[in-house]
Amino acid sequence: VRRIRLLRSTSFRLAALYAGLFGASVLVLIAMIYWIASDALRQQLTAAVDGEVATLTEYYRADGPDRAAEAIRRRLASGLRSTTVYLLQDARGMKLGGNLPATKPVIGWVELPARAGDDDEADAAERDGHRLLAHGVALPDGGFLLVGEDAFHLVETQEAILRAFGWGFGGTILLAVIGGALLSVGFLRRIDAINRTARAIIDGKLGDRVPVRGTNDELDQLALNFNEMLDRMQALMESLRQVSSDIAHDLRSPLSRLRQRLEGTRARARTVEDYAAAVDRAIAETDAILSTFAALLRIAQIEAGTRRTTFSAVDLTDVFQRVADAYTAVAEDRGQMLKATIARGLMVRGDRELLVQMLANLIENAIRHTPAGTIIALDLEATPDGIVGSVSDNGPGIPADARAKVFQRFYRLEASRTAPGNGLGLALVAAVADLHRIRIELGDNQPGLRVALHFSTGSDA
Amino acid sequence: MGQNGNRKRAMKILLIEDDAEMAAYLANGLREHGHVVDPVANGRDGLFLAAGERYDLMIVDRMLPDLDGLGIVKTVRGAGVKTPVLFLTTMGGIDDRVEGLEAGGDDYLVKPFAFAELLARVNALARRPPLNAVETVLRVANLEMDLLKRTATRAGQRVDLQPQEFKLLEYLMRHAGRVVTRTMLLENVWEFHFDPQTNVVETHISRLRSKIDRGFDTELIHTVRGSGYCLRAPD
Repeated sequence: VRRIRLLRSTSFRLAALYAGLFGASVLVLIAMIYWIASDALRQQLTAAVDGEVATLTEYYRADGPDRAAEAIRRRLASGLRSTTVYLLQDARGMKLGGNLPATKPVIGWVELPARAGDDDEADAAERDGHRLLAHGVALPDGGFLLVGEDAFHLVETQEAILRAFGWGFGGTILLAVIGGALLSVGFLRRIDAINRTARAIIDGKLGDRVPVRGTNDELDQLALNFNEMLDRMQALMESLRQVSSDIAHDLRSPLSRLRQRLEGTRARARTVEDYAAAVDRAIAETDAILSTFAALLRIAQIEAGTRRTTFSAVDLTDVFQRVADAYTAVAEDRGQMLKATIARGLMVRGDRELLVQMLANLIENAIRHTPAGTIIALDLEATPDGIVGSVSDNGPGIPADARAKVFQRFYRLEASRTAPGNGLGLALVAAVADLHRIRIELGDNQPGLRVALHFSTGSDA
Repeated sequence: MGQNGNRKRAMKILLIEDDAEMAAYLANGLREHGHVVDPVANGRDGLFLAAGERYDLMIVDRMLPDLDGLGIVKTVRGAGVKTPVLFLTTMGGIDDRVEGLEAGGDDYLVKPFAFAELLARVNALARRPPLNAVETVLRVANLEMDLLKRTATRAGQRVDLQPQEFKLLEYLMRHAGRVVTRTMLLENVWEFHFDPQTNVVETHISRLRSKIDRGFDTELIHTVRGSGYCLRAPD
């Protein structure tokens, strides 16, 4: 199985493709060398043969057959031309000279088998099976001259080129295959790690992550992105699970209460007015349940982070001003005072609707959990560290040990258990702040609570 | 709702809603208020009717079995039909509203909703006689609002309004004779797309009342129990 996978792997196929291409280019190169070298050698051979033919023909014509035969004999005797063969015949076919047997005249270029055992044994054995490249010409009086040259240099060169090609080609393919295999094994091992992780997650081990080498190459980046994607999905699933359990736990009690009331009404109500009052109360309770439900879903949606894609420039000054305008009268009616100090022209990137709601929730929180006579301050200013908004009051405040918990869903301080509200206001604030990368700081206003919003200066928030 | 229902003209409404129970509930309710309702259960029929008939209003469910409600409205708008559209959705989605309005919807209502809320929005969307393009003064009985000077008078006496109160009164006057719900006011006057835990609307309505109704024989701002508010001239 392993071998088959190796052969199928992408990197191996790539390596094979490169080996093929490289092999083909080696082939073309060698073919050209073969052709050029053969041609050059052949030309050299034919030129040598033609030179001899011309010289001997000239002897023959000028000085007669005997002179030509004498020249051939001397050439053979000198040993300088051990690879050359000669044949001189008269018009009747009688051999006048040379080291070839008399033959039927053949005019033009011919290839002859090399003869064995004519001169010296070793040489002949070496040339065995080689061919002679010979040129036959008719002489003026009907005679025939044949000069040939052993072509074994040519053949040997050609063989050498072919041998070199064989080694080169084989070596190239071998190296490519080995390299490709090594590369594939390395790649496959890392792909395997990713696959194993995916498998483990499919099988329910959601915490598994792909090992990262730290080399920051493409596979590492893939692993990092893969892991980040998994983290994100796990966070989303966690949030979904949280919503489900919140709904299960916290909507059950108001629903049970509603049911008890309805049962009580059925048992005790006597008049139409009784029923009307009970129905009105039931509608009000249902509305409260629906609003809790909507708030939970909204928080979950915000936590999912998809709204970040629709962020745009938001006039923060305007957001603060609007919220201040909306609540100044509300605070006054409760005997409180809302003082707004808002710097002009401050902008952030974000979701206007959510920022309005976040700020409104913070102010409502201050209004609802402080007594009459409280002064609530809404501030927005640009500091050297970025834009800071804050909602402060001089009410009872929150004990330091409870500060981290107030942003949890349904968390309510003992003191405010009896006040109306679903315990989700600050959880939504936390979700919106997180979405906008706003750092929330809960501080002691001595006395009272100060909630500071440190807006991110980063370009992405 | 009977208080102001008698004066409105009947509207011809196309209702595209696949949930049969919901469709029957809405159609019956709207008919009780004198409107003519054509209910269809799927997008294809809806598109056919919307393109072929003349309606005063379309109520479109976002989630339909075949064609998406968004797609229908986009198609209808693409064909040049300008009938006002009210989207209904079970998705409490905060992005959905923006999507719906961008597709050519005029208003957006999240299920579950009170019927009074739907009715108020239907009436608010009803095609009005076109406002005079250069209208700068709104008038209801002896209440006048100058939109350019940003001033209001009741029976010739100047009424001093805070900016929020001015916006609130302007919205009420533009919808004079119709019921506007608390949610409609929150969305349009304060741009609050959530349900506040304090009585923002009640507080401002009460202040506005004390400024324009106190000391006069006839009240202009009426509370419609279970629905919202209505600014109207005395009968």
